[in-house]
Amino acid sequence: MSCIVANLLTKSYGSIMAVDGIDLSVNSGKIFGFLGPNGAGKTTTIKLLTTLIVPTSGTINILGMDAIRHPLDVRKKIGVVLQQPSYEPTLSVEKSLEKYGMMWNVERKTRNDRVEELLSAFDLQEIRKMKNDDLSIGQRRRVQVAREFMHDMELLFLDEPTVGLDPSARRGLLDFIKKKVKEGLTIFFTTHILNEAEYLCDEVAIINKGKIIAVDTPNELKNKFGREKTIKIRIPETKKDVQGLLIDVKDYEIDFNSGTNITIRSNDSEEVLLKILQILTVNNISIEDLSVMPTTLEEIFLTVVKNSNASNN
Amino acid sequence: MHPIIRLVNRNLTISLNKGFLIWQIVFPLIYIFVAGFAYTSLIHSVPFGNKSLDYPAFIASGMIGFNIMNSTLISGIIIWNDRRHGMFEQILVGPFTRAHYILSNIYTIGIVGLISAALITAVGYPLFFKSVEFNFYTIPLVVFASVTGSILFGSIASIISTRLQSSEGFNVVINTAFLFFAFVSTAFYPAQGAPEPLSTAFYLNPLTYLVDVVRAGIFGNFSTFVGIEMTVLVVVALILFTISTKLLSKLEI
Ligand SMILES: Nc1ncnc2c1ncn2[C@@H]1O[C@H](COP(=O)(O)OP(=O)(O)OP(=O)(O)O)[C@@H](O)[C@H]1O
Ligand SMILES: [Mg+2]
Repeated sequence: MSCIVANLLTKSYGSIMAVDGIDLSVNSGKIFGFLGPNGAGKTTTIKLLTTLIVPTSGTINILGMDAIRHPLDVRKKIGVVLQQPSYEPTLSVEKSLEKYGMMWNVERKTRNDRVEELLSAFDLQEIRKMKNDDLSIGQRRRVQVAREFMHDMELLFLDEPTVGLDPSARRGLLDFIKKKVKEGLTIFFTTHILNEAEYLCDEVAIINKGKIIAVDTPNELKNKFGREKTIKIRIPETKKDVQGLLIDVKDYEIDFNSGTNITIRSNDSEEVLLKILQILTVNNISIEDLSVMPTTLEEIFLTVVKNSNASNN
Repeated sequence: MHPIIRLVNRNLTISLNKGFLIWQIVFPLIYIFVAGFAYTSLIHSVPFGNKSLDYPAFIASGMIGFNIMNSTLISGIIIWNDRRHGMFEQILVGPFTRAHYILSNIYTIGIVGLISAALITAVGYPLFFKSVEFNFYTIPLVVFASVTGSILFGSIASIISTRLQSSEGFNVVINTAFLFFAFVSTAFYPAQGAPEPLSTAFYLNPLTYLVDVVRAGIFGNFSTFVGIEMTVLVVVALILFTISTKLLSKLEI
């Protein structure tokens, strides 16, 4: 079942099309990654889906409810961690969690239990008595994310939740999210850290300049766009003019930083490799090292966004 | 629990901290006891209706209105702080509507205003108890003034909070407004004694009306003039309230 369905969703600010006619469909019980460069429209999309702003046009259905007509009904069922920090400066960490639960009408007993659970899960025990105003940026972000789990929800939106977190806090959060998804939560998640998306997401969409330019599972995206492979060849220092020898070969780069490194980046990298190897053998140049880079979501992201920018211009 | 009650609970929790209570009690106490008694040698008595009040009683009763203004300006700042600390947006993606948010702020301001009025009445009571005349008409008058005054000053603070963008600008405006309201009013000295342009300026200041109505309540001398002042207070409060609600409901996210 789809718990987010958006059709032809558009939001403009004056002449800026922050979100430009996107369609979305997110399945329940999954982690959906929403990726895109700065200013692509991720945050605007989250604000639209969470009823914080109204679209210029288009429809939004959240958990079977019309989000434009019944925003309050939607808000009661979702959780949102916005990109912008939010905190109660005058309250202590534990008090702010507890009060947030109160604001969500969570029963006192449950509230207190959850505070304890979250303080441990997010490694906040040591700072539980500190005022939010006195926390570091990363600590504050951890409190903000933890706080959202004070209440029950069916769908959670996270706008770059891991920004400012150290590696262990980040991994802790990702695993906590995974656990919650196993228990039935659906997550809509934006990040710039692509291996995070790869680790976590069942499906990803890439948005650029307000338009969705790719949607699929991370693996399928790699199959579709990842035909380009990267192969690195390292040869010892030589007096021969390697660049001159390879003059007829395309799709490679060469640098002489430490020894000679040839990098092939091509859709037909095997063929290019074959050509280069032939030339090297004919000229009696040995090979020190040869490696094939696995395609990462990051490379796919860069390719897809570059293609989309090129076709726009 | 109703969403508005939950928000009021939250608002009171964040605003009624130690600093606030100190500000609300210590500051007015200093005015009452230091200024009140220091000036007694200069100002022997203040004519008030058909009574004559000693200066400490005059200033203590003035401090009630002053405190209502002071506290509601502070709680009006809730909106400013919520915008600055991201809580405004966070609340609006939670189980609340904008109307809930706006109403909860008004209730908070009203409650804080009443608490402040009660605190100062309790503290100042020994000073004005000689002249005090509580009866069926006067207590409702004080409560009426507290609530109307709170809404009036709360609306002013929330208008400032929604219009301004920078912290510096906000602080300058709030402090200037505060100084004008506090000292160009009948809270500290009677209009009759003040030189001409100043005593007229007193009546351009809503705090004067608030203080006059509170005094009329405490010392039990209701007159046509006080009736007019009450009307002005209600009308101005309603206008400011309407403006602030409009601004808040249109506030861009
Ligand atoms: N309130 C606003 N007024 C005017 N323009 C806006 C507003 N909010 C967003 N925009 C514009 O809309 C576009 C999309 O912004 P958005 O915040 O959605 O990007 P994003 O994908 O979240 O970027 P980032 O990765 O930097 O967070 C940008 O060009 C931005 O300048
Ligand atoms: Mg963003």
